[in-house]
Amino acid sequence: MMKAKKVLSLLMTAVLAAGVLTGCGGGRGTEDAAQTADTPEAAEETAEAGSAEDAEPEEAAEEASAGGGIVGVALPWLGTQNWAEAEVMFKEQLEAAGYEAIIQAADQKVPQQQQQIESMIENGAQVIVVGPVDGSQLGSVLEKAKDAGVYVIGYDRLLENTTGVDGVVQFGSVKTGELQAQALLQGLEELKGEAPYNIELFGGGPADPNAPNFFTGAMSVLQPLIDDGTLVVVSGQTDFTQCATVDWDNSKAQSRMDAILSGNYSDIEIDGVLSPNDGIARAIITSCENAGQPIPVVSGLDAENESVEWVWSGRQYSTVAKPTNALVAETVSIIDSLLSGNGMPATDVTADNGVIDVPVYELPPVVVTKDNAKEVFADDPDRMALLTD
Amino acid sequence: MKYVKKVLGEDLRQYTMVVALAALIIIFNIASGGKMITSSNFQNLISGNAYVLVLALGMLMVIVIGQIDLSVGSVAGFASMVMAITARQFNLPWYIAILIALVIGMIAGAWQGFFLSRLGIPGFITTLGGMMIFRGGVIWISNSISVPVPSELKWFGAGYLPEWGPAFTGMNNSTLLLGIIAIAVYVTAQIKKFNHSGDVTGKKEEFWPYAVRIGIVSAVIGYATWLFGSGRVGTSFPIPGLILVILIILYYLITERTSFGRHVYAVGGNKAAAELSGVNVKRTYFLTMLNMSLLAAVAGILFVGRSTAAGPADGTSWEMDAIASVFIGGASVSGGVGTVIATMVGGLVMAVLNNGLMLMGVGADKTQVIKGFVLLAAVAFDVYNKKHRG
Repeated sequence: MMKAKKVLSLLMTAVLAAGVLTGCGGGRGTEDAAQTADTPEAAEETAEAGSAEDAEPEEAAEEASAGGGIVGVALPWLGTQNWAEAEVMFKEQLEAAGYEAIIQAADQKVPQQQQQIESMIENGAQVIVVGPVDGSQLGSVLEKAKDAGVYVIGYDRLLENTTGVDGVVQFGSVKTGELQAQALLQGLEELKGEAPYNIELFGGGPADPNAPNFFTGAMSVLQPLIDDGTLVVVSGQTDFTQCATVDWDNSKAQSRMDAILSGNYSDIEIDGVLSPNDGIARAIITSCENAGQPIPVVSGLDAENESVEWVWSGRQYSTVAKPTNALVAETVSIIDSLLSGNGMPATDVTADNGVIDVPVYELPPVVVTKDNAKEVFADDPDRMALLTD
Repeated sequence: MKYVKKVLGEDLRQYTMVVALAALIIIFNIASGGKMITSSNFQNLISGNAYVLVLALGMLMVIVIGQIDLSVGSVAGFASMVMAITARQFNLPWYIAILIALVIGMIAGAWQGFFLSRLGIPGFITTLGGMMIFRGGVIWISNSISVPVPSELKWFGAGYLPEWGPAFTGMNNSTLLLGIIAIAVYVTAQIKKFNHSGDVTGKKEEFWPYAVRIGIVSAVIGYATWLFGSGRVGTSFPIPGLILVILIILYYLITERTSFGRHVYAVGGNKAAAELSGVNVKRTYFLTMLNMSLLAAVAGILFVGRSTAAGPADGTSWEMDAIASVFIGGASVSGGVGTVIATMVGGLVMAVLNNGLMLMGVGADKTQVIKGFVLLAAVAFDVYNKKHRG
C-alpha cells in the first residue's frame, strides 16, 4: 500500500517536471500558434456560411471575421425574466448569424464577471457584449479588452468610468419618459372628458441615473400643457427632487400619494398620475382606491406581470414594455457591422461615462395599453397567458 | 524513491497539492487547446485572484489560532468604500486614500480583536456581527451606488512593472530582474543551508540533492519569469502579484521565524499549554484579528484598483473563498496546523479551477459545484492521510 503511494507520488512529480519542460516551448510562441490556428477555423466557418466569398485570397483572412467570429456575452445573472430571456435570445440570434457565442452569467458578482470577461478575451472573442453587474466596476478589465483589440458593447446599462467601451445599446430613457407622458395624455382624453385635468407627478429613485431622464422626458411633453392650463398639478410639486421616490420604494410612493390626496383632493377628483414604473403605479392606484377616489389614469414601465394584468383589466391605464428581443437584435446588428469591418454604426446620441463620451444606440420602448396589449405581446407566450378574460 | 526523498525531503505528502495544481494547469491547457498557459492568462490569473490570496494569508493565521473570521469580505468592502468616498469628497491624493483604507482596516480589526480577546466572545460570533455591521455600513454610506476611486489606484489592482533596458531579452526586463533575483536568493539560501548542514551532526550531507533542488526550482522560476515577462509589450508580472509575493515572504517569515509566529501555532495547538508556558494568549488573539482586517483592507484596495470603483457589494462571500483556500492548503479545522505556502497553493488550486472552467465556457453554477467537491475531496484526503499515517 505504502509502496503504491510512493510510486504514485513519484509519477506525479514526473508529470509535474514533464509539464514544466514541455511548457518551456510556450510563452510568446504558443500564443502565436494558437492565433494562427484560429484563422483557418474561422475561414472554414466562412466557407460554410456560404457567403459570396470569391474575393481575393489575401482578403480572406479579414473577410473571415465577417461570416464567423467569436462573440462573448457577459450577463450579470439569470435571476430575472429579462436576463434569462437575453441569454436564450443571444444564443439563438448569434448562432443564427454564424457566430460562435460564449455566454456567461456572473451570479451578480463583480469579480466573477471581471474574470469571465478576461476569459472571453483569452478565448479569442472579437466582440464582447457586457450587461454589467455594476457598470462602473469593470474599468481595467474593459481597457484590457480594448488593448487586445476587442470591441466592447454595453448592453442595457452604461459602462462607466472606463475608456474601454465602444458603444452602448439600451432603451432610450428620455424617450421612455416622453412615451409615459404621451400615454398619460391619451388616457386623460379618452377617459376623463374635457380639460383641464388634475394630475400629480412621480419620479423614480434619485440614485438611478435613468430616473431623472425619465422625468425630463415626461416633463418635455407635460410642461407646455401645465403652462397653458390644460393640466393642473394640484399639489404644485413639479420638481424632480420633490417628486422622486427614494430607492424606487413603492411604499414611499404610496405614503406620498396618501399625503397628497388628503392634503389637496378632499373636494376634487384626481384625473391622472405620471408614474415612472409599474410598482409605483400600483402603489398610486391602491392609494387612490383607499382614499375613495375614482381610479386615475396612471402610466407605468417594465410590463411587470401584475401590471400587465392590471392594464388588461383596466385598473392601470398603460405601461411601457422594453422587449428584450429588440434589444438583442439591435446588439447583434452592431456586431454584424463590426465584424464585417464596417465599424460602429453611426449615431448622434452619446453619453458621458465619466471618462469619455460613449456612443449610445437607443431603442424606442413600446407603450402598452389595453388596446394594443395583444399585439405587443404576440411573441411573448408568458405575458399573453395573462391576457385572459 | 530514496533519491526523490533526498531531493524533496522526508514528507512527500506536502507536495500532493502542488502536484494537483500542476496537473490541473496541464489538463486545462490541453482541454482548452493551449489557452491556459499563456502570458496573458497567467497575468489574469494573478491579478484576478491576488485579493483572495491576500485574504487567505490573514485567514491562515486566524484558522491556526483556532478561530474563523467571517467579516473579511465586509471589512474589505467597507475600508475601500470609506477610502473611495473620502478621497472623492476631499479630493485626496491616492496615498492618503490608501492610508485611510488601512487605518479603517486596523480599526475594524481592533474592534473584533477586542471582543474576541478581552470579552472572550467566540470569533465566529464576533465576526458574524462584524460581517453584518460592515456590510450594512458599506451600503449605508454609499447609498448603494458605486464610487470611482483615484485613478492611480488602478496601478495596484491591474498595473504592470515598467519596461526598460535592452530589447534583445525579448521580455519585460523588470520581470526578468525579479526572476533573476528570485533564483539568486534561492540558490544562496540553499548553498548556505548546505554549508551549515553538518554543523549539528558533524556529518555533511551530500551536495547532489541540493543541486537537483536548485535546478528544478530555478527552472520553474525561470519559466514563470519567461511566461509573465514575454506577454504583450507593456505587460509584466502584475503589480498585485508583486504585492502578493512581498506579503507572502513577509508572512512566511512572521509565521516561521518570529516569536509571534510561534505563539500563533502554540495557541492554536493547545491553548492551555501555551498559556502555562507563558504565551500571552489574549495578545496573540488580538494581533491576529487586527492583522486579518488589515489584510482585508489591502485586499479591498487591490480589488477596487482593478475595478476602478468601489461598489456596495464588494467583498460579498470573499471570506468563503479565503477559508476554502486555507483548508485546501491542509490547515486543520481544530487549529494549530497550516502553512503560508500550502495556503497559497490551496488558493491557486481554486483560482486555476475557476479560470480553467471559465476558459472552457463552463457556467458559474457548475463551477461552484465543482469547487465544492474539490474542497471536500482535498480535506477528506488530508484527514484520511493523517489517520493512516505511517
